[in-house]
Amino acid sequence: MTIDYLALAPEIVIVVTLLGVLSLDLFLPRRKKFWVATLAVAGTALAAVPLIFLAVEGSTRSMFDGSFVVDSFALALKGLLLVGAYIVLLMSVSYIESDRYWQGEYYLMILSSLLGSMVMASGRDLIVLFIGLELTTGPLYLLAGWRKGDIRSNEASLKYFILGVLSTAMMLFGMSLLFGLTGVVGFDELAAVVGDHAAEPAMVLAVLFLFAGFGFKVSAVPFHFWAPDTYEGAPTPVTAYLSVNSKIAGFIAMLVVLYLALPDLADIWAPAVWALSALSMTVANLSALRQRNIVRLLAYSSIAQAGFMLVPFAAAAVADADLAEGFSATIIYIAIYALMNLGAFAVVIAGARATGSGEVDDWAGLGRYNPRLGVLAAVFFLSLAGIPPLAGWFAKFVMFRSVILTGGAGPIALAIIAAVNTVIAFYYYARVVKAVWLDPVPEGAEIPEQRAPAGSLSLALGLTTALTVIIGMFPAIATVFADASQVLTAAGG
Amino acid sequence: MTDWYMLLAAALFTIGAMGILVRRNALVMFMCVELMLNAVNLTLVSAGRALGSLDGQLATFFVLVVAAAEVVIGLAIIVAIFRHRDTASVDELSELKG
Amino acid sequence: MTVEVVIFVLMGLTALGGAITVVMARNPVYSGLGLLGTMLSLAVIYVSQLAHFVAAIQVIVYAGAVMTLFLFVIMMIGVDVAEDTAENLPRQRLVVGVLAAAVVGFAVYLGVSQGFDWVPAASGEPVAEATNGTVQAIGERLFSTWVLAFEATALLLTVAAAGAIALAYFRRRRAVRE
Repeated sequence: MTIDYLALAPEIVIVVTLLGVLSLDLFLPRRKKFWVATLAVAGTALAAVPLIFLAVEGSTRSMFDGSFVVDSFALALKGLLLVGAYIVLLMSVSYIESDRYWQGEYYLMILSSLLGSMVMASGRDLIVLFIGLELTTGPLYLLAGWRKGDIRSNEASLKYFILGVLSTAMMLFGMSLLFGLTGVVGFDELAAVVGDHAAEPAMVLAVLFLFAGFGFKVSAVPFHFWAPDTYEGAPTPVTAYLSVNSKIAGFIAMLVVLYLALPDLADIWAPAVWALSALSMTVANLSALRQRNIVRLLAYSSIAQAGFMLVPFAAAAVADADLAEGFSATIIYIAIYALMNLGAFAVVIAGARATGSGEVDDWAGLGRYNPRLGVLAAVFFLSLAGIPPLAGWFAKFVMFRSVILTGGAGPIALAIIAAVNTVIAFYYYARVVKAVWLDPVPEGAEIPEQRAPAGSLSLALGLTTALTVIIGMFPAIATVFADASQVLTAAGG
Repeated sequence: MTDWYMLLAAALFTIGAMGILVRRNALVMFMCVELMLNAVNLTLVSAGRALGSLDGQLATFFVLVVAAAEVVIGLAIIVAIFRHRDTASVDELSELKG
Repeated sequence: MTVEVVIFVLMGLTALGGAITVVMARNPVYSGLGLLGTMLSLAVIYVSQLAHFVAAIQVIVYAGAVMTLFLFVIMMIGVDVAEDTAENLPRQRLVVGVLAAAVVGFAVYLGVSQGFDWVPAASGEPVAEATNGTVQAIGERLFSTWVLAFEATALLLTVAAAGAIALAYFRRRRAVRE
């Protein structure tokens, strides 16, 4: 058997980087740990080179009996994951440095989680997908508890861990039943035979178990209750990673399995996806209204956004329409969400330092004494709300367009729920912006001395701002993800 | 015969799931998850045998390795918590609410 | 076939008994031992299903490494803390749990008992009885089709070990128990 090393090159670069991080960390004295961070950031950036080469070359490469496929869909997702991890690493540098311990291992964890999600993006059978998902989440259980002096961080990691392994067990039980019924694990083979078993109760059970497992991973209602606590307790850059990369990984797992392996069972899972989407939007948005802490607000916001992401896919599935259109709209939404949410978390890190607090009320008047940060906060929160000309509007536009093109009672009902929720979401996003710009500085508040954020954090802010604004102005860029997912349609649909 | 193996696996899985709901000691909850994973393994091996396919046993191997890694991670988390709290009970962890 | 049935009944009952012990025992040490019983009985069942390799790693990895680690941690944190070893199980929680389990169990029973329509050897060549479950047969498949997943698990174990040390290691001079 020959192995196509070029197709594996992005993963190989990450592996080499993380082994380098692990060994470099052994020899460096504590004062020089920034070299570990530099290596991690550089390695992540370097992995983009073979990725771009592969994308330009554009052929589909399949390895290991078709269980690992590098096509433009996988490459687009890998690119997104790399950008996400790169920005998270930039955010982490100054944050982790101030915590002072276990920096080397921190970067090791992030990089291996990134590797797991990249493997997943290419995985085309249940086993590779499962191993990739575990490699993605395993290090994150540990990272959530990384501030081990803080009991809230300990608790965050325990909650995340118990519910994470529970969801893994449910997902695996679903997979084992699926294997038992069909005798195959590859997505293509599964797609060919699952239709014959659609009526069996065991198949319904398998699909629902799988679905519940994925529901936990993407933290969609009603499987979301770990998310706000874990997000609040974990170190903020880890929270950013959880809400972006790990959520993307969960969505890849869910959508790819449903779309590539189980399209013939849409009768079983389509109502479930519809309900998951509607519930996530509504419950999370209503809970977000009550939040005072900005990280918890973003936690509920990201649950709600997960609901929005599922809207096009759910609509296409319940209407029994062509899934491809909904699938690519969902992927575009995920990509734009990733960029603006990362930006929002970068603002939270910088803002927590500028105001000395993570409560929305304490951010009052931030725009007066730190206008630059105030503008950035407005950019990302309004983008999350979907205000043009920031990137968020295009995500919402694609979502609604896809649903309306699909038509039918189920999709339209979902679109109405989404529209109502967009308004509710606007209210709490705008509340943050109002606090920053319109509210007076609280009486007697001690404002810490304002310093420019660390270079790496500024770079993260700059990158996310630029991407959010540019994609908002020229949305054609984001459609690269739509084109990429068409490849999958041609191959799998 | 295979159906009986499946039923045993399903029973183990259900008992494990019930344990997660009933117990509040993190260690025991975690053992219940291991129980569920064992049920998955039994399903895979029995199904693989009925199908005459080795893939069931291979999948079992992967589940087992992942379970081992998760045990390492989970016990590290529990030890880290215990350093602060002297407890492994989830009920006593209530810093984060709401 | 009859030998297999006898083994199944005996070991199945032991496994169920162990599982119930895990859930019901008030002391985590008993839970751990119950889990150990379940794992060992499953290993015997694997042998009777000709899955020799899986049976061996079940004993070595699960019953050996995993359970030792569990018991070690229980001893480390549990035994000398009285209120921790005897967890109180309020009756209503038990009732809710049993009800939920009954619902899940019924669904699983329905699915499993009525729904299985086995597709013989849908994935390529059926394995010959002689090589089924041997290290060689599994190894060949493991290192061809699944080699990437295999390497990923190697990395997962490394990362788990490194991360566990980072998380659970406390310097002695820090106040360990405030």
